[in-house]
Amino acid sequence: MSRLLLFYRLMARPLLREPVRAGLTVLAVALGVAVVLAIDLAGDAATGSFRSSMETLAGDNDLEIATSGGVPENLVGTLASLPYSIRISPRIEDFAVIAGTRKSLPLIGLDLVSEGSGSSRMDSGTAAETPFPKTLEEGFENSGGFDGIWVGASLGFKAGDRVPLLINDQVHDYVIRGAYPDSNGNESAIVMDIATAQQALTRYGRVDRILLKVQKTASLDEWQQRLRSALPAGVELRPQGTGTNENRRMLAAFRWNLRLLSYVSLVVGAFLIYNTISVSVVRRRAEIGIVRALGASRGVILSAFAGEAACFGIAGALIALPLGRFMATVAVKLMAATVESLYVSSRPGPIELGVGSVFLALGIGVGVAVASAYSPAREASLVSPVEAMGKGRREYDVRVQKGRVLWLASGLSLAAAAASRGNAIAGKPLFGYLAAILLVVASALATPAVVDALLTVSSKMLGKIFGVEALLASRSLAGSLRRTSVLVGALSTAIAMMTAVGIMVGSFRETVAVWMSDQLPADLYLRPAGSAAADRHPTISLGLAEKIAKLPGVMAVDRLRAYEISYENMPATLLSVDVDVLRSHHNSDFFSGRSKEEVLGELRDSNVVLVSEPFAYKHNVKRGNSITLALGGGRDSFRVADVYYDYSSERGNILMDRQTLLRYLPDAAPSNLAIYVSPESNLDAVRYEIEQTAAGQRVLLFSNRDLRGEAIRIFDRTFAITYALEAVAVLVAVMGIAGALLALVIDRRRELGLLHFLGAAKNQIRKLILVEAGLLGLLANTAGLMLGFALSLVLIFVINKQSFGWTIRFHWPVEILLAAITIVYVATVLAGLYPAQVAVQLNPIEVIHEE
Amino acid sequence: MSILSLQNVSKDYLSDGQRVEALKGLSLEADRGAFVALVGRSGCGKSTLLNLAGAMDFPTSGQVLVEGISTSSLNDAALTRLRREKVGFIFQSFQLLHTLTVFENVELPLLLAGEARAREAARERLEWVELKGLGDRYPHQLSGGQMQRVAIARALIHSPSLILADEPTGNLDTTTGNVILELLRRLTREQNTATILATHSLEAAALADRVARMRDGKIEEIVER
Amino acid sequence: MKNKLACFVAVVFSLHPAAAQYRTALPGYHYEFPRDHFNHPEFQTEWWYYTGNLKSTDGHRFGFELTFFRQAVSRDPAKTSAWDVKDIYLAHLALSDLDGSKFYHAERTNRSGPGIAGVDETRGRIWNGNWQIIWRNEAQELQAIDEQFQLHLALRSEKPPVVHGEDGVSEKAAGAGHASHYISLTRIHTSGFVELGEKKFEVTGTSWMDHEFFTHQLTADQTGWDWLSLQLEDNTELMLFHIRRRDGSIDPYSAGTFVDAQGKTTHLRASDFVLMPLRKTWKSPSTGAVYPIAWKLAIPRLGLELEVKTPLESQELTGKAKLTPNYWEGAIILTGQRNGQAAAGVGYLEMTGYDHAVRLAR
Repeated sequence: MSRLLLFYRLMARPLLREPVRAGLTVLAVALGVAVVLAIDLAGDAATGSFRSSMETLAGDNDLEIATSGGVPENLVGTLASLPYSIRISPRIEDFAVIAGTRKSLPLIGLDLVSEGSGSSRMDSGTAAETPFPKTLEEGFENSGGFDGIWVGASLGFKAGDRVPLLINDQVHDYVIRGAYPDSNGNESAIVMDIATAQQALTRYGRVDRILLKVQKTASLDEWQQRLRSALPAGVELRPQGTGTNENRRMLAAFRWNLRLLSYVSLVVGAFLIYNTISVSVVRRRAEIGIVRALGASRGVILSAFAGEAACFGIAGALIALPLGRFMATVAVKLMAATVESLYVSSRPGPIELGVGSVFLALGIGVGVAVASAYSPAREASLVSPVEAMGKGRREYDVRVQKGRVLWLASGLSLAAAAASRGNAIAGKPLFGYLAAILLVVASALATPAVVDALLTVSSKMLGKIFGVEALLASRSLAGSLRRTSVLVGALSTAIAMMTAVGIMVGSFRETVAVWMSDQLPADLYLRPAGSAAADRHPTISLGLAEKIAKLPGVMAVDRLRAYEISYENMPATLLSVDVDVLRSHHNSDFFSGRSKEEVLGELRDSNVVLVSEPFAYKHNVKRGNSITLALGGGRDSFRVADVYYDYSSERGNILMDRQTLLRYLPDAAPSNLAIYVSPESNLDAVRYEIEQTAAGQRVLLFSNRDLRGEAIRIFDRTFAITYALEAVAVLVAVMGIAGALLALVIDRRRELGLLHFLGAAKNQIRKLILVEAGLLGLLANTAGLMLGFALSLVLIFVINKQSFGWTIRFHWPVEILLAAITIVYVATVLAGLYPAQVAVQLNPIEVIHEE
Repeated sequence: MSILSLQNVSKDYLSDGQRVEALKGLSLEADRGAFVALVGRSGCGKSTLLNLAGAMDFPTSGQVLVEGISTSSLNDAALTRLRREKVGFIFQSFQLLHTLTVFENVELPLLLAGEARAREAARERLEWVELKGLGDRYPHQLSGGQMQRVAIARALIHSPSLILADEPTGNLDTTTGNVILELLRRLTREQNTATILATHSLEAAALADRVARMRDGKIEEIVER
Repeated sequence: MKNKLACFVAVVFSLHPAAAQYRTALPGYHYEFPRDHFNHPEFQTEWWYYTGNLKSTDGHRFGFELTFFRQAVSRDPAKTSAWDVKDIYLAHLALSDLDGSKFYHAERTNRSGPGIAGVDETRGRIWNGNWQIIWRNEAQELQAIDEQFQLHLALRSEKPPVVHGEDGVSEKAAGAGHASHYISLTRIHTSGFVELGEKKFEVTGTSWMDHEFFTHQLTADQTGWDWLSLQLEDNTELMLFHIRRRDGSIDPYSAGTFVDAQGKTTHLRASDFVLMPLRKTWKSPSTGAVYPIAWKLAIPRLGLELEVKTPLESQELTGKAKLTPNYWEGAIILTGQRNGQAAAGVGYLEMTGYDHAVRLAR
């Protein structure tokens, strides 16, 4: 109790006397923690609790049967005839768009006769959970047939409403027969009878999934063995939701990287705590000496300062909880957009701020605060009682042993270089992260020496150019080298991350742009207006491609078909193309460096495929390897002719000739058309002709330029969240600068007062502080750019490569970097405004005579 | 015309909500070449008087004239100009900037005033205070006496007409203190300034031309020598 | 005449606007076996109906019922999906554990879909999921799998098929077409096993099969019926049904068929027999319907007087679907006399329309 009182008097009270500075520190911690919390919460909602939209109304089944391109539907009959009491629920799964609202919803086709009869095919005791129509008659009574649809209640439709649905490239009106409750875990979806769904999608002969509910008389493994023998080799029998788990695994890497990025703000926050506690220690050396002389042990001093840091941590964490919750709502949108465009269709779950989140926030808040305060707190505990008697204050700075530290920094950089050569561990670029951390530490160690050197140079030059204020500012910064270094370290770390990510994203963007100009050589692209995403491939009605190919002025049409498949328990995309069209019009780049004629020639109508770089990386597949694919109920082996560069999706692509794929999956409807217009024809005229030909079908026609613009737009949306994270890190750093300058002003008030006596005008004082802020910004930008460049190399060539398998060509995104750095610089200078105002308002008489 | 003229000057200020009368209707004149010592205990108003004289503060009533101009009539910029051109301060604890070299400390008032060619003047002043060759050192490399000489050089750099020294020997041993006082006397003669020295030491005051004994905000007596 | 489910689907599908033209049951139909054991898609409604009394080697008695219904929904040739609903197939399965005093029943509804339910003449198969009949020449295999019990029975008819009614039609009401084509196998030797829970019973016994196809046979003022199949120990069989009218009277179209030991049939008109409920009733706890579970019947023409009793009162099938009628269908025991000689046997009794009038309107 007495200790607490002592703590309050000696530690807490001084803090309360400087509310602005204490507040800024707390806020910096709060922001750092909030970002981590927000990304954690949003990650949980957007990816962690990822549940495929297709699990809507999937009930509590045990097993599922699926295969690439859909399961042959007669399997349903085969299964139904087996002498086992199992519930069999075949499903058609796709997406539809409510025309007009552009709202994209899962479209699910169910056997409503069986499901809706209240007695599903096999069992009578536990009726199907599907809540619609409640009874078969109810379905019939208000339908008069099977052409109606059922929708989630939250969509707000009434029975009898007519709703136009865009499915693939067609719009048809459907009549709402009823609504089902979609609040508890079931997403809003459009449900139709399986026959209606097949017709709407023109997808006959196959269903997408067959769900099975088995009796508990045997284990799932036993059931799998029993049922396996009744199934063809090419279909997969697996626990229900395996697809969801595969997607979860795929999303894990994405989430992992984001989470790490979110820790940057926290690192910056740690620098600031370190600085705050250091200032606190230095200011109170005498006090510490007195307390020590009065009998306080080293431990008491150590825990007092650690306690001070813990207070910042707790206060920060408490603010971080609501702040993080709020930031999570924004983050979840950004993350969901990324997940949707890069990975898989999903809808984020609710954001849940649970007990775990509270502990996370408090844990990292207090943990980071105490850890970063340890070094200054230890220093405080080493103050000898004699110092209480020492007159005046000891200068803040201990001379840095530059030489040794620089050697250490170089050693760490070398270690970083070595670490960057390490391979991924369990798909995670752990060595890459190690390299990044080593670089950051090396940079932090080297900062004082670099700052000192730069300031020595700058004080001479700046003094000449910017006058006495610049001289004073750089001398003052150099004079408190340790404090300056910490601030520069904090800001430069934030800037470095910003720069590194900026360079990586910029390089990526440029790489994609260059790749697109090779990969997208056609003049026009046509795709169905239906809901498309990384894992959704609506199709174009049969015949349109042929009609377009016959138009005058159309030189060639490449029909591309895409399927979502599962390869070795990971999602992948299977593509087929008209190889001959590709051969004569495309400029592909292959890993082997061979010509496209040679490579594509191998593909023609044979079991030879190309795989994309992410696929090759993920599955460790090389040219010449064979891969086994389960297609349309069969299994077959395919030789990998080569690996090609691809940046369209992280899922990984397998590409084969259209004729090859049609042998396995006879659905001839293409997902996309690439249309080549003959050079002598007028593009606009041909486009008009195509639009006329496609009238009545909902298709989207893009010019080459539109498509690239669209791709870049999606690209930018994808990286929005990384920009947001960097912005917060920089904000934290800038707030730190403001707080630190404030401390600097207060610690140097005597000097500032003296300047008044020596004839300084108020705006000279203001300028002095602003120049200091500017110098800090300049130093941080310089150090940050250097570190950022090094980090960007690690990001591009190690972390990105190992996480996603993309080859990115290095590129300086000059404009973006310039703009970002200018903004940071301006923000830093602005951060000096308030401290400058405080400096100006100091009463020189009071500060100079206070002794 | 007097360099410094205080006419019936009073100064009140609030300390913890209490009105304190620091100066009570006090008058003092100092001409060029005058070395005036203010003697009295701590809190008698010496420092307040110096602050008023240096236009760092303003009287509650009465007038402070520096070279005939009332400080109360000047705006902020004019006050700054006044300090830059006419006043030099010397403090008990030297008040050198530790991050600046001796040269740079001495140059500071000129640099603040925007004058570029300060180095020559600084060299000259340092020579005058007998610290030739120490210009590139840092304050922490100097002794107390040397530091106060640097401070004196700084106070002289812009050739002020008024030198205000607040306990300049307070942090020095007697011998060094006497050297500094002698230096102040010399500068008053040679630079022809009006020099006001605030001290609690009668010994120090003995070196002045005129000694004003202060008590409770008033000048009790002025002894001309 | 077990058309309780057929009534239901008739009601339901009569709401369907795309009602196609179907053939009605008219006199002079030419029967041909085994062809006519299978599907008649040109008729709207068709069912195959198996009931039987079984006894295990250790004397445990069972009754069973397995029915396959087909109700045509659409004959639109434009539809292309295997899932298009051309017919709805319903099926009921029941097991009466007569000595264990337990009654188990299940129902299922399916479209034919890709082989989920249907009738396949070439493969001799009539099925709904894993409830199925497979014809192998003259013999049949019956298999039905439920969570609680399973039937695996071999059926061999001891008599040729019986065609009920007159001139190939069994009339149900006045007017042409208010009739059905109605075929029975009245004495089928049955052997196999019944699995109930963990237990497996080897059983033998006698079964009965009804097969009926028609388009709209009943009229609105008929509210329910009582139907019996009787297998007497003297190797003769009897089928009787009794249509109850809204006014409480017995419909004059009630009828029956007597099959003698050689398989020769005698058509019985309503005036040929008396069928009277006795006092004993059973009130269903789930539907509240009160069923007369003991009957007395007399056929003076044949010198036959019988009392009908049941070893298990609770043999009511309740549908989950709102419009599915609830009905009592169960194993019965017969005692009485024929021409002064003691007569005994087993059979099945079906009673409908006791909770509310069966909806026949369309």
